[in-house]
Amino acid sequence: MTTIRSTLTLLLIAIAMIVGHVHAQPQGDPDAEAFRSAFLAGDLSWDAVLERAAAEGEVVWAHWGGSETLNTWIDTVVRPALAEYGVTLRTSRLTNTRDAVDLVLAEAAAGRGVGQGSIDAIWINGENFFTLSSQGLNFGSFADLVPNSQYFHFDTSNPASGPNLFDFGYPTNREEIPWSGDQYMCAIDTARLERSEAPADFAELEAWLRENPGRFTYVRPPQYNGNTFVQTVLYAHNPDGDGYVSFQNAADALGVDEFIRITQPGYEYLQRIEPFLLGGGGSDGMRGSPIYPEDQNGLEALFVNGEIDMACQFGMYNTAVSIETGRFAETAENVIFPAQGMIKNKNFIGVPINAPNPAAAMVLANVLASPENQISKLGTIGYVLGIDADLLTAEQQAEIDAVAPSLVGITYDELGAVTVPDTNASLVDVIEGTWTAFIERRSGSFEDSVRAAFADR
Amino acid sequence: MIARRRAGTTEIRRDDRDRLGPFGRFYVTFVVVAVVGPFIPLLIASFAFRWNWPDLLPSRWWWEARETARLPLGWDYVFSPVSRVLESAGNTVLIALLVTLLCTLISLPAARVLARERFRGKSFVEFFLLTPLIVPEIAVGLGILVTFIQLGLAGTFTGIILVHLIPTIPYMVRVLTSVFQGLSRDYEEQARVLGAGPLRTMWHVTLPMIMPGVIAGGLFAFLISSNIFLLTFFIGRGRIETLPTLLFSRVSGGGALDAVAAGVALIVCIPGIIMLVLTERFIKEEVFAKGFGG
Repeated sequence: MTTIRSTLTLLLIAIAMIVGHVHAQPQGDPDAEAFRSAFLAGDLSWDAVLERAAAEGEVVWAHWGGSETLNTWIDTVVRPALAEYGVTLRTSRLTNTRDAVDLVLAEAAAGRGVGQGSIDAIWINGENFFTLSSQGLNFGSFADLVPNSQYFHFDTSNPASGPNLFDFGYPTNREEIPWSGDQYMCAIDTARLERSEAPADFAELEAWLRENPGRFTYVRPPQYNGNTFVQTVLYAHNPDGDGYVSFQNAADALGVDEFIRITQPGYEYLQRIEPFLLGGGGSDGMRGSPIYPEDQNGLEALFVNGEIDMACQFGMYNTAVSIETGRFAETAENVIFPAQGMIKNKNFIGVPINAPNPAAAMVLANVLASPENQISKLGTIGYVLGIDADLLTAEQQAEIDAVAPSLVGITYDELGAVTVPDTNASLVDVIEGTWTAFIERRSGSFEDSVRAAFADR
Repeated sequence: MIARRRAGTTEIRRDDRDRLGPFGRFYVTFVVVAVVGPFIPLLIASFAFRWNWPDLLPSRWWWEARETARLPLGWDYVFSPVSRVLESAGNTVLIALLVTLLCTLISLPAARVLARERFRGKSFVEFFLLTPLIVPEIAVGLGILVTFIQLGLAGTFTGIILVHLIPTIPYMVRVLTSVFQGLSRDYEEQARVLGAGPLRTMWHVTLPMIMPGVIAGGLFAFLISSNIFLLTFFIGRGRIETLPTLLFSRVSGGGALDAVAAGVALIVCIPGIIMLVLTERFIKEEVFAKGFGG
């Protein structure tokens, strides 16, 4: 499925480039160009932006739409908030953010310039942002220009600004504005696995899997839930003992030899546990075919149906919300796993350069960043704050504490103690490529797999 | 295939009911179970709040949980405007009706000529009309999308209707050609001899006689159009949702079939079922058989 999708994407872009070459019209819409340069230069008052947004009349927001609770929240909170500014919200519910990025790429290749695309804003992060950014397809550094940017740390001298200025280690350059946070979490069902029995780190996981073969698996990389699991394994097995730190370097800075050195123990661990994963065939020498679900939905289906005892995926409040919607059993709880580091990051609202309604896109970004809406999002659907809570009033902070869903079984302090950042975005492709070649296809030596992944990126 | 089986079953029921042997009875039961069976778990899932293995039935039902839920669950979500089910159903039916109409208008003259005239290159034209059934949609979809982006047709109803004509016209032409083949020219000639003009002949003689065939072909076009996923997905680009694209976004990824997905899956079947019921009495069974046998 994923291979088909990426092949399709390549085809689409290739065709678009050929066709676009013939009909290239590098000029964008002059009116939108004028707005863009004036706004990014800081020459426009917010009132002027609001006025233009109302004249544009609508905004098209492409977001992952696989969650009913999120869709409901957007329609009941964001839509009316935008309507107050005379802007109609049109959302495009994606199954994969990559689809929106591909559309922007195809449009750009077909010669659609500033103001001439079809998407105004994308819920984006990591490698998708990296793709748009490396193609120069972002609208510009807008994140600190909207009024609600006051609720984010953007000062480079302040370490708290890291999550706002770096997305998977890649500089955001304020071309995207944080809108939500995410935390890798592992859930168990205490009806099947006692808290005290649950593994707490990777060594314990391996020992536990040898006792209980087939009771665990992870999402198949390159899906980000699976990739993140692999990242945490690599952090924990970093031979330098500095965990995530080495992985903050860009791929070119790190170099292929160094990458091989710091990741080999981690990949060997993944290879070692493979026979004990779901469908892996156990230790009797028979190599089974481990089942790696395609995404979070697939993983959770295995978890709720009792095929695996622990499920790791993004979603700080996923367990609490899933119990509430009936997806998880009431006996489900979170555990701290792995103790060597659980990845936390932020995700963002990006605006593509060819946004047809750029002023309305700024208004959307501002509305999504308002403390009122951020707290509503946290309380209603359990999405982590994108804004920085320490910049809010004491009253708002108290409200956050009151509405935040439960972490079901663990505390904020326990979680905060093991939280680590993502890898650098440029390493994501290499980590995925190595996993596919070395673990999934078993296509050769570890070193060859890494070198091929480096070359393919 | 399906059409023939349908026709066969109906005949058995009508004429040979008393003589239906044990095998016949088993066969009918088997067909009914195979057709209706898959809907049963779907129906249960759509009313479930929590339904996990190994429970034979949901451990908690939707109606037990909906009072306390903060956000709409299951059918409440399906029927809320947020789910876009009604909007997508409207789009699906509107597109399918327009596609059927256009497709009929395009296919009628083509089928008439193909059935009655002999001309050079006729077999090539017949083959050419079938090529959309041979070339996979995925092979042409991307190229069409790029062209449509250029033409400003991507993400528009016009664009979707145009691409839906591609897989529907071959079926329609095929069905109508055999209808015209079965219709002797004599009736039309007699009308002409008796003084009717070409339009009047068409309206009062030809059309009434081919109507069952037109309806059968139209039913096909409607059913095909309302089930096209890939082309709609490419050309609609998330701007225009139809029931198939809505269902795909609900069930892709291999997750558990939750209540909402089950509800949407049930709703997706409704336009086709309504169409089948509405048109059944117009259709002569042999039209189906001929359409595919001939």
